[in-house]
Amino acid sequence: MNRIRLKTARPIGKWFSVIALVLALVTPALGAAPHYEGKTIEAVIPFPVAGGSDIWIRTIAPYLEKYIPGNPRFTFRNVAGGRGIPGMMDFALKAKGDGLMVLVSSATNYFPVLLGDKAAKYDFRQWKPLLVNPVGGVMYASPASGIKRPEDLAKAKDLIYGGISAIGLDLIPLISFELLELDAKGVLGFKGRGEARIAFERGETNIDYQTTPAYNATVVPLIKEGKAIPLMSFGQLDDSGNIVRDPAVPDLPTVPEVYEKIKGKKPSGRFWETYKVFMPSGFAVQKILWAKADSPAEVFRGFYGAVDRLDKDKEFLTKTDKVLGGYPLLRGDRLEKTIHQAFQIDAETQRFVKDWVSRKYRVKFD
Amino acid sequence: MWDAALVALERFANPLHLGMLAFGVLAGSVIGILPGLGGIACVAILLPFIYTLDVHSAMVLLVGSLAVVHTSDTITSVLIGTPGSAAAAATTLDGHPLAKQGQAGRALSAAFLSSLIGGLIGALFLTLSLPIARPLVLLFSSPELLMLCVLGLSFAGFLTGGAPLKGGLAACLGLLLGSVGSAPADAVDRYTFGQLYLIDGIPLVGVALGVFGIAEVIDLLTKGGRIAERISLGHGWLQGVKDVYHHWGIVVRGSLIGVWAGILPGIGATAGAWMSYGHVVALAQDRENFGKGDIRGVIGPESANNSVEAGDFIPTLLFSVPGGAPSAILLGALFFYGIQPGPRMVQENLDLIFTIIWSFAFANMLGAGLCLFLSPVLARLTFISFNRLAPAIVITIFFGAFQSTQHFGDIYAMLGLGLLGWIMKQLAWPRAPFLVGFVLTHPTEQYLWLSISRYGMEWLLRPGVIVLGILLLASIVWIVIGKRGGKEMPGEDGGEGKVHLGKFPSILFTALVLVVVSTALYESRNFPYLGAIFPMAATIPAILMALSQIVMELRAAPIASDVESKAKIMMALGYFTSLVLFLLLILLFGFGIAAALFTFAFLYGWVKMRWSYALIYTGSIVAVAELMSRLLNLYWPLGIVFSQW
Repeated sequence: MNRIRLKTARPIGKWFSVIALVLALVTPALGAAPHYEGKTIEAVIPFPVAGGSDIWIRTIAPYLEKYIPGNPRFTFRNVAGGRGIPGMMDFALKAKGDGLMVLVSSATNYFPVLLGDKAAKYDFRQWKPLLVNPVGGVMYASPASGIKRPEDLAKAKDLIYGGISAIGLDLIPLISFELLELDAKGVLGFKGRGEARIAFERGETNIDYQTTPAYNATVVPLIKEGKAIPLMSFGQLDDSGNIVRDPAVPDLPTVPEVYEKIKGKKPSGRFWETYKVFMPSGFAVQKILWAKADSPAEVFRGFYGAVDRLDKDKEFLTKTDKVLGGYPLLRGDRLEKTIHQAFQIDAETQRFVKDWVSRKYRVKFD
Repeated sequence: MWDAALVALERFANPLHLGMLAFGVLAGSVIGILPGLGGIACVAILLPFIYTLDVHSAMVLLVGSLAVVHTSDTITSVLIGTPGSAAAAATTLDGHPLAKQGQAGRALSAAFLSSLIGGLIGALFLTLSLPIARPLVLLFSSPELLMLCVLGLSFAGFLTGGAPLKGGLAACLGLLLGSVGSAPADAVDRYTFGQLYLIDGIPLVGVALGVFGIAEVIDLLTKGGRIAERISLGHGWLQGVKDVYHHWGIVVRGSLIGVWAGILPGIGATAGAWMSYGHVVALAQDRENFGKGDIRGVIGPESANNSVEAGDFIPTLLFSVPGGAPSAILLGALFFYGIQPGPRMVQENLDLIFTIIWSFAFANMLGAGLCLFLSPVLARLTFISFNRLAPAIVITIFFGAFQSTQHFGDIYAMLGLGLLGWIMKQLAWPRAPFLVGFVLTHPTEQYLWLSISRYGMEWLLRPGVIVLGILLLASIVWIVIGKRGGKEMPGEDGGEGKVHLGKFPSILFTALVLVVVSTALYESRNFPYLGAIFPMAATIPAILMALSQIVMELRAAPIASDVESKAKIMMALGYFTSLVLFLLLILLFGFGIAAALFTFAFLYGWVKMRWSYALIYTGSIVAVAELMSRLLNLYWPLGIVFSQW
């Protein structure tokens, strides 16, 4: 990964070192210990114990404790249920600008905002991201569907996809079907992606997706047995916000690439606009750790510095590889603009997507 | 395969592993005893330790604690009629009447022993089915799973005792309560009245604690005196062992029902226990004593609720799909160690699977042994005046209900359902079908939805569906024959000391139910397509049944409500009010102070305990509650009074 580093070998560098020296002499005189010394950081998790986001923060927290100056202790509070909204509101109301309360968020928390749910009264612009962890998703099909390569999708008939809810992460595969103009329908109501995969294995559905870690553990063996055909990934964002191949599955084309192969032109149109809005918040910036934006600069420096040092920690990299899904832990400041862009939706696209899901999947919006 | 089993067994020679196992079993047993606290609470306490251990030790600790939760949760179910966890609610039906008859020791030992055997059969089944488990699970598609759920619902018919109409109504009410919240495909929120809390539906723990727990506590308080009405005549726990030996067939069948309830996604421990209870009643030659203290009614559900957890390991470890909350946590812990269960698990981590199986088997033995050892002492609790136990029990119930989602809605729901449960009990409405309906609503609706949207109407023609349909038909015919043959006597609970509410309140209650279900039906007109099927399927028959019930009651001879009954009703309402006051105190001052005030006021002001004893009692209750709050990371909101400052 490319990281921005301060280079001190420039003439200005001298001035920096002088200022740094002065600061170093002055701060102890003022009695200022690191912001987090002897403090406890409370992480609010708007999901149940042992869910994906819960495991994510609990796994990386011990390493953050080690690397954040002052070695703060982490405690965790799960405020589960209500589509994550109560947990988000809890943080919005209780957190102060001191960096002692942080929030873990995931795709479930972004979609209500993108879809204009009135109960989701939280405003991401009042918070700043500390850490970001992307996640990827891979689609695959059953050989029984007659599909051998991604290009075969265009002529495949009666594709059936099993999902949880049309206003959750399933929205992204469902949008992909529309974008690629496939003869596919979503059967919703499964309790989790795992149950949907069982339905795929027993032949009830014939096209499915899993997040990359689950794909590697549970679908790759099926592919080796010839029971599944890998198709495409949803893609990731590069530094300038373009959709590119997923580094975790570099051999698979992305959804827009498959579009080009089938249609012979760059993707465009309403569904493409929708895809570009929902894919990033669903996958590319899926897990985010937040603090209130008015927290002292030391809070953000502490976390960003910890990420830089974690990037070189062998133990961290090997031990958390599976939990992070094979993606790097990223500094919040590098993605701040992308994140705030990802949560923007123009009124027209919002109306379009709401119309479409309520028509096709009978979702009722209040 | 057997090599891996031996390698895993050898690990238990390590004192660290044995220590972990003992620690896990102890934690699981203690938490299981406390009403409302189950597997999730266990893990919340153990989680901080788990993150510092290696994967094998962590699994031993986790599985050790999860395996025994359903062994020790029997204790409060039998002794005070308050289910230790939702899955133990079925055990209250016959276990608690036995305790009232002074046979708590017998009920407990029979329960622990059948739990133990159930757990071991579950572990054995798990081991033997490892090579064939994957195709076995894949055999069941949504339509077959739907039929199994409907079959489970039909078992509610066996649980209605001598009041089929009231039982049917209760089951419909359960279905209706279960459909509160977002419909399976998230298309619509039903009966949520704009409350975020209701989107996820009412938690099972709150329902079980309300309908069975609160109702029983109020009833016991009103009755006064001790729980046991007679001093034990038989040989206590030895009799329980003999009972299990005598009814070994029930134990084996119950365990297998449990294993299957665990293997199939969405059924779960609570439904498994009720299905096992239902099957015991269905196959019994004489049904007079069920609900009044039949030992078979204890053995059935108890042999099922431990083996459910063993069955649950199959989808968890081989498909990475957890069946219940405890296995979801187990899965989470495995992810933490970088192990993603799935098809490769059997090849790559077979020794870990065996560590889990052995831990499960050993924990069952250790847990059952511990509980058996304690049961003579615990049984003596039923000879203490219930007044003195009540504050501790009330506080634990509130604590357990709040813990499930940490939302005050849980406590409102529990109190509301407590009142409902109490009224149902007084009017001889069976509460078992209510809970069965509630538990099975979600899976049934989910699979109905999936079957119709995947297969249209073709699903009815699948061979598995036809076979299960014939079984369903047979079960219904069996119920009707049973009712006609007069095998059953009315009443769910031993009738002694029952408050007779009289004819007018009885009609009033049925009329109220009629109003509720009619409103619910009217409301369902706004639900789209499949979202409306379930509320309609529950309310339309309920309206018909309620109407005929009212006609029947109007024709029945009037029951005179004597002076004594009236006094008892007033007393029960008084106790209920005191629970509401406790809630208000919590809202005002926070949990700690409210618990102290409530306990002291109750013991000193009402029970007339000496102030010094009352103070010590209060102090220890509050200390334990605070300690548990810390361990569980439970955040009670500050009272209104304090949050102002």
